[in-house]
Amino acid sequence: MTSSLFIDIGSYQVQKSGEDCFGDTIYAKKIPEEQRIIGILSDGLGSGVKANILSSMTTRMAMKFMEDNTELQRASETMMDALPICQVRKISYATFSIVDSELEGKTRIFEMDNPRYIFIRNNRLFDIKGREFSSPKWKDRKICVSQVNNLPEDRIIVMSDGVTQAGIGNKKYPLGWGRQGCIDFILKTLRQDPYISSSALAEKIVNEALSKENGAKAGDDISCMCLYFRNPRKLLIVTGPPFNEDKDREISEMVANYDGKIAVCGGTTANIIERELCLKCEIDKTSFDTKIPMASKMEGVDLVTEGILTLTDAYRMLKEGIDKNSNTASVRLVKLFLGSDRIDFVVGTKINVAHQDPNLPMELEIRRNIVKKIFRLLQSQYLKEISVRYL
Amino acid sequence: MEKIKVKICCGTSCFVMGAAQIQVLEFDPPADIKDKIEIEESRCMNYCHNTAAKYNRGPFVEVNGELIEEANFEKVVNKIREILDGTKD
Repeated sequence: MTSSLFIDIGSYQVQKSGEDCFGDTIYAKKIPEEQRIIGILSDGLGSGVKANILSSMTTRMAMKFMEDNTELQRASETMMDALPICQVRKISYATFSIVDSELEGKTRIFEMDNPRYIFIRNNRLFDIKGREFSSPKWKDRKICVSQVNNLPEDRIIVMSDGVTQAGIGNKKYPLGWGRQGCIDFILKTLRQDPYISSSALAEKIVNEALSKENGAKAGDDISCMCLYFRNPRKLLIVTGPPFNEDKDREISEMVANYDGKIAVCGGTTANIIERELCLKCEIDKTSFDTKIPMASKMEGVDLVTEGILTLTDAYRMLKEGIDKNSNTASVRLVKLFLGSDRIDFVVGTKINVAHQDPNLPMELEIRRNIVKKIFRLLQSQYLKEISVRYL
Repeated sequence: MEKIKVKICCGTSCFVMGAAQIQVLEFDPPADIKDKIEIEESRCMNYCHNTAAKYNRGPFVEVNGELIEEANFEKVVNKIREILDGTKD
């Protein structure tokens, strides 16, 4: 796989019932210079504060060692030596699962005593044989290393034993929910919603595990981290008629040939595309609102809206948070922004004479300015990849 | 009887000048004209762009093809009633 993948990483945790803090720690980090993402899940011995300290120390140390590419045996020995010894059990202990992914697709997974990671490809479980080794110093601790080359739509799920042992001792689950139960649930969830985001999937898994417990009270810390490898979700935003009418065709062809979602923001722009591509465009009356003009439906285009007012409102929502229970054109636009990884703006720079009327409200921004504000915000706050082209 | 066609421009400038209030016709029209009109929204009818033709300001509304400039709810409803009265005679 030569083209760069996008890795969506998300996690969810529930702490042991009655405890004040999480005994498991999840820590993920992007290293943009190396095009690398490292995610670590650690389960500390016991629960509560003690476990929290053990697992936090483990994740931080492991992250440092991974970043520096320290040799594994040395790294793991140092980690085990450094952890404080439990008063009760006279051992120092925290499990870990480390997923180290490069955007080109190579992923290495290091595990110690956590339930084995789950690797899903083509909606099936892919069992990968790992190599096991232990250090001479800690013979009973086995670290399992495996490596996969990721393809788009692969998923890796790591979890703490709170997930697999959920409900242990119940009549229904005498041995706990089990890894297989978890796998079945993941596959079922993915069949229903193949493009579910990592954080949503992690939350579902944890909640399902929690539902197996007696009285839905967590008997252990339940944590899950998911990675979802996918081709970047692309979005094309076309707004404004081009300065030169000769470019009308060019803009329309961009819309026709784009391999991703498309939003057209601007009445005149929509009219141009409707005319050039001979598409039918109809107003969608379900989006009626007194503040934002209604959206329209056009074949092959995901969203058609009015221009400046909608963009200005979308900018407001990107700053202040999306309006709930609303179906206006601007809410739909913001949802498209947030659901995309890479956003290409094509901005027509023709000035709308009618907007220069001094009797119009001040809020009518110049298109180029509002687009600039939006993409800067998307870049800095939402970490989206952005490209802009003026026509 | 054929319905009266009302076409409302919902382009940016018409919208900020008050086209949204005219759109109320669609969702909550006065009882007497309720069944007699057919509303169509347009993304932009291009009247505002046409500075040479010296149109007044929006919102622009067409009732049976006849243009109403600087339209508001009353103006449009009055126009519709006018047409309806005309057809009764």
